[in-house]
Amino acid sequence: MLVEYSSLITLIALTAILAFSFYAVLIAGQLSLAQLGLASLAAFTSSLVVPDEPLFGFIPPLAVGIVFGMCVGILAAFILGLPVIRLRGVFLAIATLAFGEMVRIFLINQTWTNGAQGLGFPKLVGIEVAWIALIVVAYWFWRLSGSRMGRAFAAIREDELAATTMGINVARYRMASFVIAGAVAGLYGVLLAYFSRFADPNEFSFTAAVDGLVTAVVGGVTLFVGPLLGSVFLSVLPELQRLLGINAGWIRPTISGVLLLVVILFLPGGLSGLIPRRKSAKRLVANPALRPDLPALPAPGTELVSLQGIGKSYGGVHAVRSVDLSVQAGEVLGLIGPNGAGKTTLVNMVTGLTPPSTGTGVVLGAALTAGTKAHRLAQSGVARTFQQIKLFNRLSALENVLVGGYRITHDTLLRRLLFLPSARRFEREAVAMASAQLIRVGLGDKAANAAGDLSYGDQRRLEIARALASHPSLLVLDEPAAGMNHVEAGRLSELIRSLAADGIAVLVIEHNVRMMLATCDRIMVLNFGEVIASGKPADIARDPKVLEAYLGSAGNDADVEAASVLAAENLAEVAVELAREHEQGPDAVIGDDAEPNGAAEPEDKR
Amino acid sequence: MQLFLDGIFLGSIYALFAIGFTLVFGILDRLNLAHASVFTAGALVGIEVVSRFGISIWLAIPLVLVLGALLGVLIERIAFRPLAGRHDAHFAGLISSIAFGAIILSLLQALFGADTRRFPADAFPQARFEILGATVSLLQVIILVISVSLMVVLTWLVAKSKLGRGMRTIAENPHAAAVLGLNVGRISSTTFAISSALGAVAGVLFTLNVNAAQLGIGHAVELKALAVIVVGGMGSLPGALVGGLILGLSEVLAVNYIGSSWRDMVAFGLLFLILILRPQGLFGARKTREV
Amino acid sequence: MSDPILSVEGLQVNYGRVEAVRNVSFEVATGALVTLVGANGAGKTSILNAVSGLIRPRHGVIKFKGQDITKWPAHRLVKAGLVQVPEGREILGTLTVAENLSLGGWHRGSTLNANVARVYDRFPVLFERRRLHAGALSGGEQQMLSIARALIAEPEILLLDEPSMGLAPKIVDEVFSVIEEIRSTGTTVVLVEQNARRALAAADFGYVLETGEITHSGPAHELLADEKVIEAYLGLD
Repeated sequence: MLVEYSSLITLIALTAILAFSFYAVLIAGQLSLAQLGLASLAAFTSSLVVPDEPLFGFIPPLAVGIVFGMCVGILAAFILGLPVIRLRGVFLAIATLAFGEMVRIFLINQTWTNGAQGLGFPKLVGIEVAWIALIVVAYWFWRLSGSRMGRAFAAIREDELAATTMGINVARYRMASFVIAGAVAGLYGVLLAYFSRFADPNEFSFTAAVDGLVTAVVGGVTLFVGPLLGSVFLSVLPELQRLLGINAGWIRPTISGVLLLVVILFLPGGLSGLIPRRKSAKRLVANPALRPDLPALPAPGTELVSLQGIGKSYGGVHAVRSVDLSVQAGEVLGLIGPNGAGKTTLVNMVTGLTPPSTGTGVVLGAALTAGTKAHRLAQSGVARTFQQIKLFNRLSALENVLVGGYRITHDTLLRRLLFLPSARRFEREAVAMASAQLIRVGLGDKAANAAGDLSYGDQRRLEIARALASHPSLLVLDEPAAGMNHVEAGRLSELIRSLAADGIAVLVIEHNVRMMLATCDRIMVLNFGEVIASGKPADIARDPKVLEAYLGSAGNDADVEAASVLAAENLAEVAVELAREHEQGPDAVIGDDAEPNGAAEPEDKR
Repeated sequence: MQLFLDGIFLGSIYALFAIGFTLVFGILDRLNLAHASVFTAGALVGIEVVSRFGISIWLAIPLVLVLGALLGVLIERIAFRPLAGRHDAHFAGLISSIAFGAIILSLLQALFGADTRRFPADAFPQARFEILGATVSLLQVIILVISVSLMVVLTWLVAKSKLGRGMRTIAENPHAAAVLGLNVGRISSTTFAISSALGAVAGVLFTLNVNAAQLGIGHAVELKALAVIVVGGMGSLPGALVGGLILGLSEVLAVNYIGSSWRDMVAFGLLFLILILRPQGLFGARKTREV
Repeated sequence: MSDPILSVEGLQVNYGRVEAVRNVSFEVATGALVTLVGANGAGKTSILNAVSGLIRPRHGVIKFKGQDITKWPAHRLVKAGLVQVPEGREILGTLTVAENLSLGGWHRGSTLNANVARVYDRFPVLFERRRLHAGALSGGEQQMLSIARALIAEPEILLLDEPSMGLAPKIVDEVFSVIEEIRSTGTTVVLVEQNARRALAAADFGYVLETGEITHSGPAHELLADEKVIEAYLGLD
């Protein structure tokens, strides 16, 4: 049995290794078709260095070939990555495909590869070597999946922009996934050549690349066993058909094609999506003792953001013009104004996503220039949420918050590979810190739910928890109460006050003016990109310019005018009332309908 | 001069294939990798109806056109429409169209076998004549005329007709198109039908030109077509025409001056350079897409 | 309310496992101006898109002029006279103003030219700019174009999604006067707005939405005076 099928079983392992090479880029949301080109480079160049006898008398020739081939794969992937890594999607796929084909044509035209006649290789790879190699590769990806690096890849795949604002250097991680894929491709090339004893550059063609991609996709990229499942499925299928007596040359590819179509149309997660996953990869760790000590936040009153005359224009349209802004540790600064007033553009500049056109600014010690990188600012302690929610939708709530903790957690890949006890400890610490933030926003019971399945209000809260997980000095919230009812908004207001009490500077954009008056220490009002008012909530509520910008009382509609006057009076009263409550401390803030949250813990005292 | 003309003829076939490819990408934002199989189907079915039933090549071409259109509708319905609304629709569309293409190819194998097939020698008049010192066959002229006229008709259709207005609306904003009451599903099907009809006719013309067809011809041309539409700009119709001609010419020149074994390096080198230096292509608007 | 032109019964809309709209029922009388108000994410746009056939509801029955239209695709509804002016205007920026308008008349071949002429009379600024790319218009002009484009489809009922979004107060006034004018010609109007105070001031009847459910409903002037509604929703926004 084993003898009869030994070739098939070896090929299953080799195909799975090829699929892992595609998997390595797919988990970071990239599609590269260069893998076969890298594999053939590795295979043919290894023929130049592999000795006939063990090197130094004890290193087997195959080991030399494998190490050399993987190094070639890494180097070639890195060199290819330098120009193409900034391409996305279909463009990256086509560029890498072109690279693969160029390698093929180059090798065909070389004499040392024996051109299209192909080159003979000694038979050094059998069933054992192939499976050991596969197990090592699968082990690597298994340990990668739970590490900080693995989470960073997943975050980039789900939402690059959000990943950047967690402090993840997207370009570097994309390159890393490229290089890992190159190493695996190199391994595959060498193993295949020394298994089949013959290699011809034309075997490493576009069609072969498509087969590798299909294997990875059929297996699924959500679980590290996907490539193996894909390989088994696609290799065994023709064999089964043969056993069933289906021999006509065309029936097998037809059935394979139909099955592939069925998998891609009806199993979005591939075959590995069929494997029931544990409800939650990790449980909440609610024990505060497990949380490590974190560095102190800046002392209250320290100026964290200081902008002078900052402005942004898009092709002649001034989204923001000449705004001065200062935010201090421990204060809540509100930004209000009609839609399109430039609020989001302003906070995009503060968080490094948009370079300012004019003016100067310093955020947590870093100057805002055209070269400011959002991930650098995030690393120095800026965290944010988005107006259009940007969660990592297919990751669980807890995993989202774990990614948020990127800045303050350790990379555990190497430790995990070696099964060091410190890996477990670091992971538990990361989970403990993330759990604390989930519980703090009231999502403790939803840790295992996929972020995309949460309700709108819960998604907003999860975004806040994810931002808090980086232990930020400055937290930027863009319309955090959108989609929340007034009870939820009240709780959110309490949360924001408690963050400020911890010493975090909070910059918040919100249309719920009532909540803003209750929550903020200071409010700035923007209209048409300019600051039209700035000051204490009670003063803002009485400012006629603010009322006009918001209510449009310029018209002659008597109803509206009456309504706006009514609203103005109403608000002024509310504001005075709230200001009074404020002075009694954060605990007394509009607490009437905000019941204490059952799951909430006493907050983390640092 | 001879080289120049040969390059133009080859380029016009590439362009005809690529223009259908790029039409679907430009309007529906989908890369249809089953296009190569439609090309092969066009070639093999064309040969079959001419050699088996003795139908004139002039009747065979419209027949193949209709067959291509039908295949296009099937591809849209089966491989693309079910994916609408999925977050990985781009990516899944690549795979599902590969699968659908593989099914078409295996059915072709069942019908016609895996051997190389040719048009009968008398399928097309063998007239040759000289222009400006270069020898040109009637066939090459016809290929050029058919390619160019199909492209002109298509460009007119997209630019001026109501259907074309619908296509451009969907290209710019599919949601707005639906809000305005355009039947997005039907226009998408029609786009695929036109695209595949052109691909199938390109198969016939290509086969007439090289006088051989087997199951694998589609793949080779598909890679070239990718180069053409990237060079011209993804989604740009004039870009596909110009890109096709550039590729045809540079391949002919490369064969002449560097050697035929390096011919394909031209296409991919060009493709690679354009993607790095000007990813939007010569005629394309800058857009980046996520897979 | 007798003879509703539009009635929605037990509507539920899901995105994945998220319930965006839960058991929403309402009616729109022929010729009325009815408004749905609520915060971002309250489900207003989902309701409108379900009614327009752009998304499939999970449950519920939608009737237009007594006919069950729940499963009708969008293009069939537009042809039947149920037309939406979408959130964010959704004009086609690379097409000219004139092309945008003629797209509005996709199903109105014979009356298209007359309709366009009428719209130009009402919005002279669009006539002046008819050859410009629609993307070059100001925000207010784009909103007018979006409304004008919908009028060319000869709607019996016009659904407007956040027409005041991102516009300066003065332009908002203009938009509202256009809406009231449309209504005065006999076209039924459903207006979805975040600017609740403004929308209720213009409407006959209002529904207040919160997290996917209707929490209050009644004649608009009553809602506007209702202490609880003011307290909970109107605030300043």
